[in-house]
Amino acid sequence: MKTTHYILLGAVLLVLSACDKVSPIGVLVSGTGVEDRVKMSNSYYQGHKGEGSMLSGYEGDEYTFLVGADSHLTTDDGRMREMLQIALDNNDLLMAHLGDIADTKAEYYIILEDLIDEYREKYAKKYYAKQYLYDEKFSLDQVSYPFYPVVGNHDITHNGWALWSNIFHSSFYDVYVLVNLDPPQLDHFIFLDSASGTLGREQVRLLEEGVLNDYYYTGEKIIRHTFVFSHTNIFRPRSVEFASTFPREEMFFLLNKFSEWETDMVFLGHVHKWDYQKVGDTEYLTLDSMCEANNPQPGDYLVRVHVKKDGTIRWEKVRMNYTKK
Amino acid sequence: MNRIIVILCLLLGTITVQAQNAFVGQHRYDGEHKNEISGYAIAGNNVVVSGYGGFGLSYKRHLTDRWHVGADVQQQWGKQLYSNDVQGGYRLPVWWGDIYIDGKLMYNRYNRWNANETIGNLSLTWEMPYFYLRVGESYIHWKTGDFGYTEPLTLTFGFGAMIRPRTNSWNIGLFFRNYDDFYYENWNINWGLNFYGRLTKQMYLFGELNIRPAGSMSQLASKYETSGKLGLKYAW
Repeated sequence: MKTTHYILLGAVLLVLSACDKVSPIGVLVSGTGVEDRVKMSNSYYQGHKGEGSMLSGYEGDEYTFLVGADSHLTTDDGRMREMLQIALDNNDLLMAHLGDIADTKAEYYIILEDLIDEYREKYAKKYYAKQYLYDEKFSLDQVSYPFYPVVGNHDITHNGWALWSNIFHSSFYDVYVLVNLDPPQLDHFIFLDSASGTLGREQVRLLEEGVLNDYYYTGEKIIRHTFVFSHTNIFRPRSVEFASTFPREEMFFLLNKFSEWETDMVFLGHVHKWDYQKVGDTEYLTLDSMCEANNPQPGDYLVRVHVKKDGTIRWEKVRMNYTKK
Repeated sequence: MNRIIVILCLLLGTITVQAQNAFVGQHRYDGEHKNEISGYAIAGNNVVVSGYGGFGLSYKRHLTDRWHVGADVQQQWGKQLYSNDVQGGYRLPVWWGDIYIDGKLMYNRYNRWNANETIGNLSLTWEMPYFYLRVGESYIHWKTGDFGYTEPLTLTFGFGAMIRPRTNSWNIGLFFRNYDDFYYENWNINWGLNFYGRLTKQMYLFGELNIRPAGSMSQLASKYETSGKLGLKYAW
């Protein structure tokens, strides 16, 4: 009888270990630490600060940006392709992705990188001057494609950080949008590494030191709007949720930090369910998964934010129509 | 160093001598003492606040051999967390142990982040000589500034195992659970080691090492908080 129990237990563990989406040992300890990721990211961030991190905001009355979450790309790139195309068609200034962009397998990241390169080229053809494109010194690497992801737990569960960071380099960074020259005004986009369900000590220390809000300390406040992007959600839309949220003290720490930053909007993913809350003056949008496996039917999985010249902000849901062939 | 070894030997000897005085569980009324009071110190390290420490005090009154009530207070520096609760429960003897039906009302003040938390918990615990299992539900409402939020019902679960039967005068155990004395988490599982040992007929020493990672169910459990607790329980 005992032998049967041991065989059954062994079989269950074997099945769990063999599953691509499950890493049982990760329930207790993780092989990919947030501290190392943040140290690497911050090192890259400090070394490349300013490179493509300042965008120019307005040609007309407003600029827009598009946000999607949890695409869990595998061999089908349909929904991811649709997001990039929607942004290109609509002239969105930037795109933000809230993590779990692909499930951790090298082949999925090759598909993802190819797709991003395809749209990097389309973007360059649409926005770059022809003489620049046809210059023999031109290469796609020089195109600053405004696609800004945060890292999610599925991106790195099976030691996938090497794959993710090979494409996106840094999981902790910020981007500014210049909205006025004189007096100078910036909108601030902050991307946090919350894939592990905690920011980790190093990231908290860097935030406390003000590494992502150095423009506040120039004597004059030049930040107009602040937008924050995180994979792990703060609000739990369902009673039984098989996904970890922030521990309680960290949740309160973040709510306070976002309030201190005078954050206008916080975008969260991870739980694959839409939720909206407003805490003080800060709006918290938790986005549903845009993945065709999680949500096979067409639906409003993306969010577009309109930021007007006069400073008003409006957002809308954006429909995705792709269904698996 | 030699002095420490002698003291430890004496302590262990005291515990062993007292072995014939059956200790009957963490919860159960032993038939002799109606009152229990515990005091403990805690210290730990946490991602958000770095080092922290604090003290706690608990009181339990066994109204009968089935019913009990109690209250706890705790103060933590670093987090600036001030907590208190009242609780009560009923013991139902069953095959090979007891089932406890416990209710708890708790209030936490996270002063550092200007947040208040009100929690109600109802749980069932099956306590056996070597193991316990707990399941329950928690109602959690928190408030920060003018914003209040009631979380969807939170599943409470816990499991513990001990190397000796609960009737032993000393014990060392292992636990997995998603709650602690003053918090109920969603899917963040904390785990660790605990122990108790009888010092005299009325006095126990107890302690705990608690590893509280974040991201358990995201399969990326990462260091979030490590803490230790050491205390004395007196029964009369």
